[in-house]
Amino acid sequence: MVRRFTGYLAYRDPDERDPGNEMPEFGDRVDKDIFEQILEMDENDPDREFSKSLIFGFFKQAAETFGKIETALKEKNLHELSRLGHFLKGSSATLGFTKIKDSCQVIQEYGNRHDESAGDVPDVEVCLQKISAALAKAKVDTEELEILMNEYFQ
Amino acid sequence: MSRDTRASSPGTAGPDIGLVFSLAPLALLVLSPAWRITRASARFLAEWRVSADDCISHELLSFVERHLHPTRPAHLTNLITCIDDALSTRAPRTSRPINTHYGVSWKARVVPVFDRDELLSIVLEWQEGPLDYSDLDPTEPGLTNDDAFRILVQAVKDYAIFLLDTKGRVATWNAGAELLKRYTREEILGKHFSLFYSKEEVDVGKPEMELELCLRDGRVEDEGWRYRKDGSRFWANVIITAVYRDGEHVGFGKVTRDLTERKSTESRLIAAYEESEKLKSDFLANMSHELRTPMHGMLSACTLLLDTQLSPRQRDMVSIMEESGQVLLQVINDILDYSKLSSGSFSIHSDVVGITSIVTSVVRSVQPSLPPEVHFELFLSPDLPRSVRGDPLRYRQILQNVVGNAAKFTDKGAIRVRASVDNEDDDTCTILTEVTDTGIGIPNSSVASLFSPFVQCDATTTKNYKGTGLGLSIAKSLAELMGGRIGYRPNPDRHGSIFWFTARFDKIKNLSDIRDWTRLGAARDASSNPAKKQDTTPSSPGGSVDIDEMLKELRIVSPVKSMLLVEDNLINQKVMLGMLRSMGFNNVALASNGADAVRMVRGKPAAYDMVLMDISMPIMDGKQATREIRDAGILVPIVAMTAYALKGDQERCLEHGMNDYIAKPVDKKRLIRVLGKWLLRMTDYRKTFDERMAELRHRPDALCQPTPSIEAENPLESFSANPVSSATLHADGDLDRGWEDDQA
Repeated sequence: MVRRFTGYLAYRDPDERDPGNEMPEFGDRVDKDIFEQILEMDENDPDREFSKSLIFGFFKQAAETFGKIETALKEKNLHELSRLGHFLKGSSATLGFTKIKDSCQVIQEYGNRHDESAGDVPDVEVCLQKISAALAKAKVDTEELEILMNEYFQ
Repeated sequence: MSRDTRASSPGTAGPDIGLVFSLAPLALLVLSPAWRITRASARFLAEWRVSADDCISHELLSFVERHLHPTRPAHLTNLITCIDDALSTRAPRTSRPINTHYGVSWKARVVPVFDRDELLSIVLEWQEGPLDYSDLDPTEPGLTNDDAFRILVQAVKDYAIFLLDTKGRVATWNAGAELLKRYTREEILGKHFSLFYSKEEVDVGKPEMELELCLRDGRVEDEGWRYRKDGSRFWANVIITAVYRDGEHVGFGKVTRDLTERKSTESRLIAAYEESEKLKSDFLANMSHELRTPMHGMLSACTLLLDTQLSPRQRDMVSIMEESGQVLLQVINDILDYSKLSSGSFSIHSDVVGITSIVTSVVRSVQPSLPPEVHFELFLSPDLPRSVRGDPLRYRQILQNVVGNAAKFTDKGAIRVRASVDNEDDDTCTILTEVTDTGIGIPNSSVASLFSPFVQCDATTTKNYKGTGLGLSIAKSLAELMGGRIGYRPNPDRHGSIFWFTARFDKIKNLSDIRDWTRLGAARDASSNPAKKQDTTPSSPGGSVDIDEMLKELRIVSPVKSMLLVEDNLINQKVMLGMLRSMGFNNVALASNGADAVRMVRGKPAAYDMVLMDISMPIMDGKQATREIRDAGILVPIVAMTAYALKGDQERCLEHGMNDYIAKPVDKKRLIRVLGKWLLRMTDYRKTFDERMAELRHRPDALCQPTPSIEAENPLESFSANPVSSATLHADGDLDRGWEDDQA
């Protein structure tokens, strides 16, 4: 199937969309526009090898990063926590995985001993607690999303 | 008379009477009874400078008339009356002086000589000198000194001249006073002179004060409103003089003149002048505004046109239109600035100012236009505050002007920009910014007029360097508006100039201040400049057409372009790679940290057309990597990919030597715009300065004469140059001049 490459760039009336390529419903877990950009990179490939590898590459990367975050939490290495948060925030943002990105943002900020509104947090323990909570949330979100993505790419 | 008769009696022994008459040291004339001159003494002939023939046998009156100067019939009449009088009374009479043409005035003593009742002769003895009152006949009508002055004062109508007694009560009154103040003599005598002053002035005791001052200094002069009897007022010049008689203070003399007419003429002149100045400024401001609107339309159209598919030659021409338009717009903006500054309607905004970021960004914007022989040196004093409060646009405008001048007039050597704290107190901080160049310098004769409007150094430079000559004048006014100064001195080390200016900023006390201001600023930007917003959300149907066109163009050039993508996150790397490939970029090298990127770029300095650089990476971050690439003298366009949303962070990317930035997650439309800008619209960084200049120089020829060779060339190479400065200007939102704000 050949589709206009520039289709996503131009303003597009929703009625013009090919119903067969309807975006899956991920709710507020995924930024639709960004995820659509990813999907459109291999829209000519029925197997979606490119986006599939990206998405599942991400889940692998996320799992590794979560492991590193846990280690850093044990070592109370805030600097490393901030770096790891920033790292995973980058890729989750690129793919449009909004919820995961938000948790990573929290990890990054508290790693810098800042709260969500950039105020200083002097207590290291408070930071570590917040990071643990954000990590737990990120893990759950990632697992749920992985299931949805598995269904989508079947 | 008896002497005369004795001398004339015959038979008396002695010298010949004729001889005696002739030699007597008296200017004598003897007349016949018919007033004909019969004899003149030698002294008379000498003193009147005439010969005997000139007067003897002549009629007295016609003789005298010939010598009158000026011709005053009254004088002659007086002489006639005098002689008649002498004859009728048979007694000597003295006439009034007669002015002769040789500058001496004479009066005649008329002595009639009778032999019984018969008139024998009339003798005139001429005496030199003005009229002496003591000589006057008491019956002659005349004036005493007192009379003369009294009449004079009374008669003068243009001046109110009157005396006050020691208490300030009116003692005399003249016609002028009556006319001017409308009080009759009877009404005013004995009244206090404060009657002429306004109630307010009486309340503060001004009349008494004037008298006191007058006693101390001898006189007082004042100009102000005075009031007439009917309550109307006039603008008066008043002189009060203390009057003494025999050392005793007896009162004050007061002379009042009506200057209402002169005053109103003055006011009319001043009003007319102010009105014409205001009209001129308004006119300039309106005209500039009217000119700018279509200019913007034209420039926008040019930009849109450049985004379409054009042949290289068409692109050349549109670029010239766009570039000339930009220059013209700058000239118009200068004039608008100037007229606003001179009319005082220029306002300074209050916002957060990052001195270092402005200085570095200005330097960076000018740098690409410099020949390779000119080095830029930037010194930022470590004690510079991170942020202060002031007008960032106006600070930048001054700096841009001064640095731009330095760049314009420097062919080789170095331009040094130095910013430091000049002085500071608890609340404010004065920043000194100095720009030193090794350029052509300023001739001594021009130093005085450097900051005057419309003056360029000399006619020869005007030809070589375009501009309105308003820049420094505007910079001066702006510096003064910011509580600072601007100045020039010659470069002490080498040929060249040092321009410096100061500007005072408020210190920022705490973080919440910054947040407030940023919010305010953001709100203002959003409300006043919807056009800017539109630019960041190019999803409107109109915007996407441009994107489509640009993408088409990109797809033409992408196969031959070589890119370097620097990104540590594998996922992001893959996504970027995917996006680039989808546009046809197959030649994309990868680096996963800054150190690798530096190694790759330095290894092949001309290999990459563009570098896409992540900021936070392990081993070496994007900023450090960019600095090292720039330090190696490689000008490849570097676009930062940054997840930071804060404006300041993005500016800092530019400070580190990057050309542009794109926010993460990377939006494809935005990516297309950035790629288009740096791969299609900019001159290739690999070209030398000379090549760029040659390109610019040849373009006018290309206009009149088609040169097919250009068509045959690689289309990318002939894409014309937008000066890189303007690109950086656009990359940095802060640089937009914010005219809309000014108009409000």
